Amino acid sequence: MEFEGCSCFRQRLVLSTLSRKREKILNIRSKDDNPGLRDFEASFVRLLDKVTNGTRIEINQTGTVLFYQPGLLYGGSVEHECNVQRSIGYYLEALLMLAPFGKTLLRAVLKGVTNDPTDPSVDLLKVTAIPLMKKFGIDGAGLEIKVLKRGMTPAGGGEVLFTCPVRRSMKPVQLTEPGKIKRIRGTAISLQMANRIVDSARSILNKFIPDIYIYTDHMKGASSGKSAGFGLTLVAETVNGTFLGAEVMSTPQGQGDPVLPEDFGRNCAKLLLEEVYRVSITKHTFVSGVDRYVIEFLRHIRDFFQIMFKIEQQKPGEDEQKGGEKVLMTCVGAGYSNISKTIK
Amino acid sequence: MEKKEQKRHQHKHSGPKAQKKNRKKEQGTEQEQDERKRNPRAFSVQSAVRMAKTFHRAQDIKTKKHHIPLVDRTPLEPPPVVVVVMGPPKVGKSTLIRCLIKNYTRQKLSDICGPVTIVSGKKRRLTLIECNNDINSMIDLAKVADLVLMLIDASFGFEMETFEFLNICQVHGFPRVMGVLTHLDTFKNNKTLSKTKKRLKHRFWTEVYQGAKLFYLSGMVYGEYQTQEVKNLGRFISVMKFRPLVWRTSHPYVVADRMQDLTDPEAIRLNPKCDRTVSLYGYLRGTFLKNKCQVHIPGVGDFSVSDVSFLPDPCPLPEVIKKRALNVKERLLYAPLAGVGGLVYDKDAVYIDMPSGHASRQQEEVRPTTELVQSLIGTQATLDAKMAASKVSLFTGTAALTPEEVQENEKQNPMESREWDENAQRERRRAVFADEDEKDDDEEEESDEAEEEEEEEEDEDEEGLTTLKKVDEKADETAAPPVKKQKIKEPMEMPAFADSDDELEKSEGEESEEEEEVAEEEEEDSNDEEELGGLFKVSRPERSKKVRADAMDCSRFQPDSSHDWDQEEMLASIRDCFVTGKWEEDKDAATLLKENDELYGDFEDLQTGEVHKAKTGNKDKAEEGNDDEIKGDGGDDDDEEEEAPQVKLDDDEVQKNKRLEKKRRLKERFDAQYDDGDATYFDDLKEEMQKQAELNRQEFEDVDDEVRVQYEGFRPGMYVRVEIPALPCEFVTNFDPHYPIVLGGLGPSEGNVGYLQMRLKKHRWHSRILKTRDPLILSLGWRRFQTIPLYYIEDHNGRHRLLKYTPEHMHCGATIWGPITPQGTGFLAVQTVGGIKANFRIAATGVVLDLDKSVTIVKKLKLIGYPYKIFKNTCFIQGMFNTVLEVAKFEGASIRTVSGIKGQIKKALRTPLGAFRATFEDRLLMSDIVFLRSWYPVLVPQLYNPVTSLLMPVGQKDTWAGMRTLGHLKHDLGIRNKPNQDSLYKPVVRQVRHFNTLHIPKELQKALPFKNKPKQMQAKGKTPRDLQRPAVVREPHEKKVAALLDALSSVYAYKNKKAKAEQHAKHKEFLKQKEKQDAERQKRLKEERKKTYRAMGQKEKKKLKSSLKGASKDN
Repeated sequence: MEFEGCSCFRQRLVLSTLSRKREKILNIRSKDDNPGLRDFEASFVRLLDKVTNGTRIEINQTGTVLFYQPGLLYGGSVEHECNVQRSIGYYLEALLMLAPFGKTLLRAVLKGVTNDPTDPSVDLLKVTAIPLMKKFGIDGAGLEIKVLKRGMTPAGGGEVLFTCPVRRSMKPVQLTEPGKIKRIRGTAISLQMANRIVDSARSILNKFIPDIYIYTDHMKGASSGKSAGFGLTLVAETVNGTFLGAEVMSTPQGQGDPVLPEDFGRNCAKLLLEEVYRVSITKHTFVSGVDRYVIEFLRHIRDFFQIMFKIEQQKPGEDEQKGGEKVLMTCVGAGYSNISKTIK
Repeated sequence: MEKKEQKRHQHKHSGPKAQKKNRKKEQGTEQEQDERKRNPRAFSVQSAVRMAKTFHRAQDIKTKKHHIPLVDRTPLEPPPVVVVVMGPPKVGKSTLIRCLIKNYTRQKLSDICGPVTIVSGKKRRLTLIECNNDINSMIDLAKVADLVLMLIDASFGFEMETFEFLNICQVHGFPRVMGVLTHLDTFKNNKTLSKTKKRLKHRFWTEVYQGAKLFYLSGMVYGEYQTQEVKNLGRFISVMKFRPLVWRTSHPYVVADRMQDLTDPEAIRLNPKCDRTVSLYGYLRGTFLKNKCQVHIPGVGDFSVSDVSFLPDPCPLPEVIKKRALNVKERLLYAPLAGVGGLVYDKDAVYIDMPSGHASRQQEEVRPTTELVQSLIGTQATLDAKMAASKVSLFTGTAALTPEEVQENEKQNPMESREWDENAQRERRRAVFADEDEKDDDEEEESDEAEEEEEEEEDEDEEGLTTLKKVDEKADETAAPPVKKQKIKEPMEMPAFADSDDELEKSEGEESEEEEEVAEEEEEDSNDEEELGGLFKVSRPERSKKVRADAMDCSRFQPDSSHDWDQEEMLASIRDCFVTGKWEEDKDAATLLKENDELYGDFEDLQTGEVHKAKTGNKDKAEEGNDDEIKGDGGDDDDEEEEAPQVKLDDDEVQKNKRLEKKRRLKERFDAQYDDGDATYFDDLKEEMQKQAELNRQEFEDVDDEVRVQYEGFRPGMYVRVEIPALPCEFVTNFDPHYPIVLGGLGPSEGNVGYLQMRLKKHRWHSRILKTRDPLILSLGWRRFQTIPLYYIEDHNGRHRLLKYTPEHMHCGATIWGPITPQGTGFLAVQTVGGIKANFRIAATGVVLDLDKSVTIVKKLKLIGYPYKIFKNTCFIQGMFNTVLEVAKFEGASIRTVSGIKGQIKKALRTPLGAFRATFEDRLLMSDIVFLRSWYPVLVPQLYNPVTSLLMPVGQKDTWAGMRTLGHLKHDLGIRNKPNQDSLYKPVVRQVRHFNTLHIPKELQKALPFKNKPKQMQAKGKTPRDLQRPAVVREPHEKKVAALLDALSSVYAYKNKKAKAEQHAKHKEFLKQKEKQDAERQKRLKEERKKTYRAMGQKEKKKLKSSLKGASKDN
């Protein structure tokens, strides 16, 4: 398979690894002043190499062409120094998709930036992705994301432990009813301003539901990372066990406009409401909102696995006040099973 | 004998005994029913251990019956059941198929080649396939067969093929097997017949399962089996049930019943050996087949499908199910490879003319292959039209297009081939409908379709007259089904972005060019919106901006700035997403409660005599608050606020009622949870599967087939046409319809090659053990391929140690380089597929355990060294290594002598090269040999050679020979190994042992007693002259006397000898005579004895008769 450009770089590599189809990505930033793969992408490719066996990667001199022939997913103990240009969430999102299909239990220690404004942070993935994976039948004691050290944007220094057991196949999932939100939880990362952030966020959310609890993260000394920053992650749990998350992170020091912690908390709460507004439901995979990234992902799934999603629009009831219009997506699975796992 | 009249038993009518009996009679039946009650002691627990054991056993038996429940994926209209008729040659396979066909369809088919599909009943179709006596065919058909009719020549007994086939079946998932005994009319004797039947039946049972059905076809009538028996067999087939097999339910497959070469005749003319494009037809079985997937054709190789389409069913089931049997019109027969019926090729469909009631219709004389060729020749023109119509040929045909169009195509040539079709289609569509865009889209499409259909018909009518242009237009329209359009929209944008890497560049350079296009797109976008709803309205500004190919790869959603969450309306819009919001009618706690009250509301407390009435109004509200408390996990501030009004009503009655209500509900919930306690895990699992199956079936039920196929792939049961490009030309030129063509769909990543670790066992009937590195032909998944296995065994520490040969009766591991196949798949191995050399061809069977890209198999390597200098426990050893570097690598390694003294390598010495210092636990001797045990990794040879038996010339398809084994090669080339000189046998030469004389010191001699003292034995001297005896010299007279005596004695001896010989001869004669007489006498005696016995017997009989008579009289 051939692709152009580096958009959806991770999707392509992950799907290629899962479907074991070789691929070639051409013209990666070929017209750019700084052509070729960026450091964080190279780091990502290296991480893939670590969790697989027999992967062949060829990159041309300028880094504008990448040839990727996937090997078998292996898992095992992996330690990776993630590039600080992107946060660990960037890497973790891919690992979440790959880890259940390895040969052995994955135990990855990722080092780098835990929270940054661009990518979903580790905290957000922890509270939203893990319950979702459990719905797919990937449960047990092994599955967890743990923040060992925190690291903020410019310098990093954070450390995250991700462990995931392997499964032979996944269960079909029906997430047709988002359910009503029964509680809101959150984590505030900050030393001094945590209370102010929390209070402002609560002031908005309290109008809807009283069951709110926002923890404050206590990472001190070396485990608090090399640079300063603050942030807030909120997650809403519904009665059906669906999790909706939102987060806001401070920009690195010296960049962007300074914000008040109160505004900050309010912004985050609003983001959560936005999330609630457009939460959509699918039968086989959970996608929050149909944005471009999701559409790209669906297209890539179709290219790699020949799976097409049936997208139906759900009409809201007349007097229901449940936010935006929702879509229901259905697909027939590809019959994918983990061929790395050994049977005895 | 005198018989006494015995006194009859007198029943007691009174007394305790009679009472007891009466009692018994009254309760008798009841007591017998429940023995446990009557005699509780006999059923009391004697031993807890024993009870536990019996319980365990019962449970074991119960659970053994369970199979893992599978999701039922059988389609509503299942594909025909594949019935494979198998047996050694000359056993009556073709006759049986002919009879079955006649039985079901009342038609005669003289030559059976290729699969024959018939409608056998109201809900069942059959595909009959004959399996020829080639192990390739046997393997392929065992993988697709639902039912195997195993023909056995009863007059001969079982043949090896039968057992081989059964073993093949066993490995690839056991289909239903039914034995059919033929040639039963050759038995003249009824007893031998029944004995043979029984013997064969029991052997068959041990092989299949106890009680497997074995059918008897007793004899032939006019070259056919008896009608009644065939009818019975047919009934058995029609009611048979099949269990889904794992491999087949997870892989789509097609047993091709028609083949058509689509290659451009011109290309073939230019190069007769060019790769062919072939379309294969057949019913899809197994699971869903996705378009553009990979398939494996056993005997040919792996191919990617270029196009799949479904056709109207050529052999459909009757549409309305009536009570009665099928009528003649519904009894269809479809066997294109056997050339049945007049084939009519029509664009993409085949119509078979089958006038009803033509049982006596003659089959075409032409051979099937020529039939095929003929059809090709005959349909050349239609083929062209078809080529133009199909998607792929559209682009091969672009050479004929107008140059502008070609340019246009080139300009937008994207990288992903998939998008390409659709993109081009869209462009075309624009050109055609430029003036029709104002119309409503739906209308437009409909009218288009109508038009195109009309056009098609026209085209076909006036084939010769059609201009190129027209063909193109038609192609455009037909290739784009109306449904596809909506999903084409998205991908088609991609190429445009890929072309213009920079936005700026584009806006300057291309905008003017693309202005029109953009306008077009806008319009289509609006169509999109109509089709997909407001979903894409939101992202539309983004779309017009166009995402660059090098966009940032971030999964975070960019929030929509249009929502202002400070406003009350916005906040109100999501109020119902929270538990505090309004619930749906069917989930609302208040309504639910009300319902509950209606159901259970009125009840009377029996203890107090109170009557509780269902409550309404504000009490309901109170309960709602209460309910919230339960749901919302405990008291929150807001809940309490809601509860506040209820607190005002605070009188005891209400509180009490509330508590009672709550209790009742809790109890109900408890009951609901625990009442169905006997539902096991297994039942739950089954139910879950059932639900999933139901859901799967319902989801796409009401969708149109064209669209449905895109969502879920082609359904099993559909008649599909699979187009495969780049098939080797031999497939077409050497096509033999007698050999089955199976298209086995491959899952994702099953097209790749890697290392496979498997558990393997030599088949116990294969006469020889297998050697490592000898090529072996494996049948694994759909494939048959030759590969080189390495056998290994896992040591206790997990090390994989190489074996030279497979163990005789034990499992061992095997690693091959082969196609990635899911773990748990069974395989079988044969040494050759060409000819029959071994008496049982299946060499080994096993299962795939693991797949990997690297393997670690090691073999033992012993390095040997010799001490050249020995200190106390240290010594210098040489001869093990050659350089200092080698020694350095092994520093600290443990070494050992043959005598068992352990030691360790310490450090290399400067001279001699490769020598080192080592310490041992004891002092070594110079004669000791030191060795180092190490493990050396072995590489698995990367041979993966698919068996291409279908490409062999007709008649030689069973002669495929791949790589030869070393033994074969040596045998063929006449090479003999030069044996090791030491291993040869030589005559044993014993050397004479030489002992030294025993020397006893003089002192010791003196001390010894006389009898132990060495005796001074001196050698005997020469006998003195006087003791020597003189020689005798005879006188002349004496000489004469001696001579005479000699002569006389020899005469006597001769006479004696002669007389003895005479006597012997006479005796022999006498013996002969005597024997004769004896025999005669014996005969006479026997005769006499017989006579007597007969007489005696008769007497006895008479006696018996008379006695019987007497007895009867007596009674």
